[in-house]
Amino acid sequence: MSFYNQLHIDKGAIERFNPYYCNLESSLTDPIIINGQEFINLASNNYLGLASDERVKEAMINAIKRYGASMCGTPIATGYVDILKKVEERLSKFIGLEDTAIFPSCYQANLGLFSSIVNDKDLIIVDHYAHASLIQGIRLTGCKVKPFLHNDTAHLEKVLQKSSDYQNIFVVTESVFSTEGSLAPFEKIVNLCENYHAIAVVDDSHGIGVIGKSGRGILEEKGIVDFQGIYTASLGKALANSGGIISGKKELIEFLRYSCSSLIYSTALPPAVIGGIDKVLDIIEEDFESIAARMWRYKRLISECLQGCGLKLAEGTAPITSIIGGSLENTIAIAEILFENHILPTPFVPPSVPPNQGKVRLIAGADLKETTMEKVLGIFKEVRF
Amino acid sequence: MNLEERVLAIVKENLEVEAEVSLETDLRKDLEIDSLGLILITTGIEDEFSITIKNTELSDINTVADIVKKIITIQQEINICH
Repeated sequence: MSFYNQLHIDKGAIERFNPYYCNLESSLTDPIIINGQEFINLASNNYLGLASDERVKEAMINAIKRYGASMCGTPIATGYVDILKKVEERLSKFIGLEDTAIFPSCYQANLGLFSSIVNDKDLIIVDHYAHASLIQGIRLTGCKVKPFLHNDTAHLEKVLQKSSDYQNIFVVTESVFSTEGSLAPFEKIVNLCENYHAIAVVDDSHGIGVIGKSGRGILEEKGIVDFQGIYTASLGKALANSGGIISGKKELIEFLRYSCSSLIYSTALPPAVIGGIDKVLDIIEEDFESIAARMWRYKRLISECLQGCGLKLAEGTAPITSIIGGSLENTIAIAEILFENHILPTPFVPPSVPPNQGKVRLIAGADLKETTMEKVLGIFKEVRF
Repeated sequence: MNLEERVLAIVKENLEVEAEVSLETDLRKDLEIDSLGLILITTGIEDEFSITIKNTELSDINTVADIVKKIITIQQEINICH
């Protein structure tokens, strides 16, 4: 068999209806256009609905006018344009940490982080359901890895108690588990880390710009001050652009700037994206309360309506509603029903979730119109899942 | 508790959801655990029995009985070395 014939994927359950790689022909507007037809977007991580905001677009255009399309260099070379430095400083203040490095994506941040700072005398303890980017990054280190039961701090403490012969111990988790919307008991994890001299590492990709009184993420949400650990996040979800960050102590970020391969050898984010993030931070600082109120209201409306329709939902507290699909076939079937009714969801099937724990995720961005929400709720009540 | 009972208890303690588990239970096929889930169980075993199961040895483990066999093998190796 030739090499290329070996690259076969058994699409099985998605052979007839494939919900992945949809052909979007519009920006994230309300409605979006897929294959020439109007759809209601409940799939994007555009929590605050700022991806197509005119103010953000204008800021991005202005950045292009000033800096051009790209700096054509890695941050360590010509990519460290002044606006990049400014936004790193803004993000540090926004989150409440000393320093920040901006990566091309959060996947690259998580992938590069662990192999830069961990050695074979160290131990990484990680939540069983942590994001693939964290797991991949951890596996690259070759150090001892001990998972703990999902969001189970009693089990984490038990693992910590039996882990004394290591130089450094890292405890890794996400703030918001994105397939179900559950929040990590991060304040308890931080306390355990303090008690057992471990370093907490949190991926706040679905928390930054979403949770916390003013949208500053998990540290604000849980009232954690003077965080001694390591923080990563995506800039492509509520912050409506692209890229990722690692934030923390000055010593850590300075070390990563000169040692983290996924930062040093990747072309820096284009200035337009940095300009867009700068503007999104302006908007969050000025108007988070009213935007977030809409986002949370939409989440409540969707969750209550679906529960009223008899559907089983994941017990998440983030602005994510996940219908429990169970088997791969049933999960895809629920997604197909929504798609036929011109609602775009995100179905999660293995390996993104454990076998038979398929979920159909719905996120209503704050930019959706009230009339759109009425339409969504009407469809939920009419269709038979 | 004898060895088998201790292993069964540790397997149950390290599952995300409650399940019936016997020595014949296939961890991947019957309990549908993923690779990290298997490490979760073997970590519990390592801590309980003060042994180390190498990542390369994980492919030897299918059933709970295989974990019991693995513990016996490792303990015998330790005794020979001593």
